Amino acid sequence: MEKWTHEMVEQALQCPVSRRKFIKGLMAAGALMAVPGGLLRSTASAAGFADEEIVYGGPYKVFRNACPRNCYDTCSIKTFVKDGMVHFIEGAPESTYTDGGLCVKGYSYWRQTYSPDRIKYPMRQEGRASGNWKRISWDEALTTIAKKMLALKEKDGSLLGLGLTKYSGNFGITNYGVEGMMSSLGYTTRFVGTPCWPAGIDAQNYDMGDMWCNDPEDMVHSNYIIVWGGNPAWCSVHSMKYIYEAQERGAKLLVIDPVYTQTAAKADVYWQPKTGEDGALALGMARHIVDKNMVDRNFVNAHGEGFDAFETYLKKEVTLEWASEKCGIPADEIAKAAEEFARAKPATIWIGYGLQRHVNGGVSVRAIDALVAMTGNVGKVGGGARYGHLRTWGFNYNALVQKQPKGSVGFGGKSGPKGEFDFAKGETKFSDRTVNINQTARAILTTTDPPVRMLWVSCKNPFSQDFDLNQMKKAFKQLETVVVVDKFFTKTAEYADIVLPVTTNFEEWTVNVSYWHYWLGINEQAIKPMYESKSNIEIAAALSKKINELSPGACTYPTQIDTKAWMEKEFNTGIHDFFGIDSWKDLRKGPRKAKLPSSAAWSDGKFKTPSGKYEFYSKLAAEHGHDGLPKYKSNRKPTAPFRLLTPHSKFNIHSQFQHLDVMEDFNPEPYVYIHPASAAEKGIADGDRVRVFNKVGELKIKARLTDNVPRDVLLMYEAWFNKKDFNVQNLVDDTPADMGLFKTGAPGVAIHDQFADVTRA
Amino acid sequence: MKKQLGFLVDARRCIGCFTCAMACKNQYHQPPGLVWRYVHPLKEEVFPHRERAFLTLACNHCERPTCLEVCPVSAYTKRSEDGVVVHHQKKCIGCGNCIRSCPYGAPKYNPALKKAEKCSLCWQRLDDGLKPACVQGCPTGAIDLIDTATFDAPDTLQYIAGFPRFPNLNPSIRFRPPRQPLEIRR
Repeated sequence: MEKWTHEMVEQALQCPVSRRKFIKGLMAAGALMAVPGGLLRSTASAAGFADEEIVYGGPYKVFRNACPRNCYDTCSIKTFVKDGMVHFIEGAPESTYTDGGLCVKGYSYWRQTYSPDRIKYPMRQEGRASGNWKRISWDEALTTIAKKMLALKEKDGSLLGLGLTKYSGNFGITNYGVEGMMSSLGYTTRFVGTPCWPAGIDAQNYDMGDMWCNDPEDMVHSNYIIVWGGNPAWCSVHSMKYIYEAQERGAKLLVIDPVYTQTAAKADVYWQPKTGEDGALALGMARHIVDKNMVDRNFVNAHGEGFDAFETYLKKEVTLEWASEKCGIPADEIAKAAEEFARAKPATIWIGYGLQRHVNGGVSVRAIDALVAMTGNVGKVGGGARYGHLRTWGFNYNALVQKQPKGSVGFGGKSGPKGEFDFAKGETKFSDRTVNINQTARAILTTTDPPVRMLWVSCKNPFSQDFDLNQMKKAFKQLETVVVVDKFFTKTAEYADIVLPVTTNFEEWTVNVSYWHYWLGINEQAIKPMYESKSNIEIAAALSKKINELSPGACTYPTQIDTKAWMEKEFNTGIHDFFGIDSWKDLRKGPRKAKLPSSAAWSDGKFKTPSGKYEFYSKLAAEHGHDGLPKYKSNRKPTAPFRLLTPHSKFNIHSQFQHLDVMEDFNPEPYVYIHPASAAEKGIADGDRVRVFNKVGELKIKARLTDNVPRDVLLMYEAWFNKKDFNVQNLVDDTPADMGLFKTGAPGVAIHDQFADVTRA
Repeated sequence: MKKQLGFLVDARRCIGCFTCAMACKNQYHQPPGLVWRYVHPLKEEVFPHRERAFLTLACNHCERPTCLEVCPVSAYTKRSEDGVVVHHQKKCIGCGNCIRSCPYGAPKYNPALKKAEKCSLCWQRLDDGLKPACVQGCPTGAIDLIDTATFDAPDTLQYIAGFPRFPNLNPSIRFRPPRQPLEIRR
């Protein structure tokens, strides 16, 4: 028998660091004193948590919470509270989707809530990025903010100099009260659109009249699943069980991705096409299905519009060989999969958000939609072109819908939608001034009459998530006042004048739904707000009180609100009926799933397009300056030797979670991932420090070699590592995607059409 | 045969998401730097692509645990009813014998308490009729609680490639190996 030494075991098990060495190092650095066991774990008690004294059955008070992050899974949480503190949380077992378990991020909430790094009280920074923070009172903070707002209204004759940037940091419905707060002050400048999924939203709206996906739980009925440009094994872990169940029943899983993702590793077949050539690949499959006479003629005749034009285009301009040449997948493989897909009924495609973050992303989604539709898989249980939905979001938006004060002056005319979650009715004489959220820096630098003088940042971290960091720094210099509402001193907080501490989801009342599954969960206030934190709507009320003291009538927002009552105000008969509840109180017993007539979207074949049919040819798309058909569109031309991909990691949702010390236990540092062959050409060895650079900026980082990435790709997972100088936005520019303007107010952004080079540092 | 609880680690289902490892910390609040469970990526000789197949490991609750043998103050006991190896922190003097001796590296040193600690298999949860935190937390069913005395699923094994072999200890763990897709690359 082989004899194992301690070192061999550590090596075999790939221990990230020798624990003992690590702890010793921490002790030497005095770091253990600086990071005590946490507020929860009593270091004084020799019993600790590992001994007999724990009783799991109680006595805990159990609360219902929901994870409000920008994530497919939007988990329902059970929170166990004792002595006013969250002791542990679990996934709600009542939801078949959450199914009793959370994820690595969700299970770190105890640390997020009780992190020593939280912003504890309002603070003022003397000199941006100086780190010279002084604690101030809420009164002082709000007085400073209110006076500035009144001063710029006085100077400009409107509040258009006040900008709001907010996106997906907290999707709890009452948090739309931040937009409400802005409206209650007057007409302001809004950064609108979404960096996430807008091109695909427009695509699905052109094709079907809405973005609407099957219940993910019905994937168990699929006979063929393609996951295309998405990575649920990292970004929707709770969906994997349905895919596995389908596979166990004999369904085939094909994963199409330029990166050998964790989802790819679970597939039956993995394809690595050229990045951004998904449209060509889908069209090649479509052509082959036409050639093989495998089109579902019943569907396209009864429910399709313009299929003849699409077929003519395919026959005239698309061949298997052309598609193969474009995307790099052998023609016979494309043919085989196309036939299997067409035959498999029901077959489904999960369209990931990654594949539409390209200059041709929207039209690629349209081509994939067409593939699902022409095989008769739209409207079928276990079928569908799955992208997302907002069907369960029919709340009152009481917090959002606020009236401007009398006599408010704004931007002449009507604005477009302020993002995909804009459910408000159109305004009349004046409106807010809208600028593109995906070009935040550019918008600040170029907007005049008046310029953006003051910026309110909430549920958003532009310095981590928005593009072209050097431009962003320039843009922020132009701002007279920056207010950041957050839980932590983020990269954006570094450039703030004032930070305001906001509550976690355990410290506020709200309600949550998903853009993927069909469950509804209540979010109860489980503990009192830590330190001096306030929820977004309480901050709005406190600001309203202050501003009305200084200038009566200047803000219509209530000056005193009960957050629980405001949560209740979001409910209506529509929500009650859809979820089969009499009141929100029913949700205290657990989350509820919408009562769907079918788990399939579009099961009645009635589409919301102008023609009422599935539009292979969309007149609306043509009117909007696109091609009416999902014709092939070239990708962006390379500007450097490598393509740069900056997708999501499993350890964070954008700039949340990775910065926590407990997350560093499992993912201590960022890397750039390079194919071994490409690294060899550059003389780069595993673990070498390298410089990644392009025309936007540069970044120094350790290299990790892996054939999970193609040879022509450099890959870094976007994340905020606390106290580490790592930011992928040093290298990403703000080139727009092809679609997004129609439904979200601004085009998307070509996050994956970026290029860079690398050398040893 | 005597009941012996242990873990079934299904590398076929495992997505390396670290949920189990953090679910453990959610339950026991080990301070930063201290983990009872870790998700180990398999070396490329075992699975050809880096960080795409994993073994989640904690204490293996061995039939003949070294920790128990080397502890000078009997801070370890093995429960007769289910074979769970329990560390009693009240008795522990922090000598480190167990930490040095366990070939799987299960016991860890808690410098704040100056004592050892390790995976308890959530025996208090078990006694309350609950699943261990890691098992309950796993979103893909890749880790399960089994009785190794009776468990005999044919496609599983005790010593999987990449997992050190110590038959004298007889670790209470079983594995289902990962699979690989057919790969079409450029």
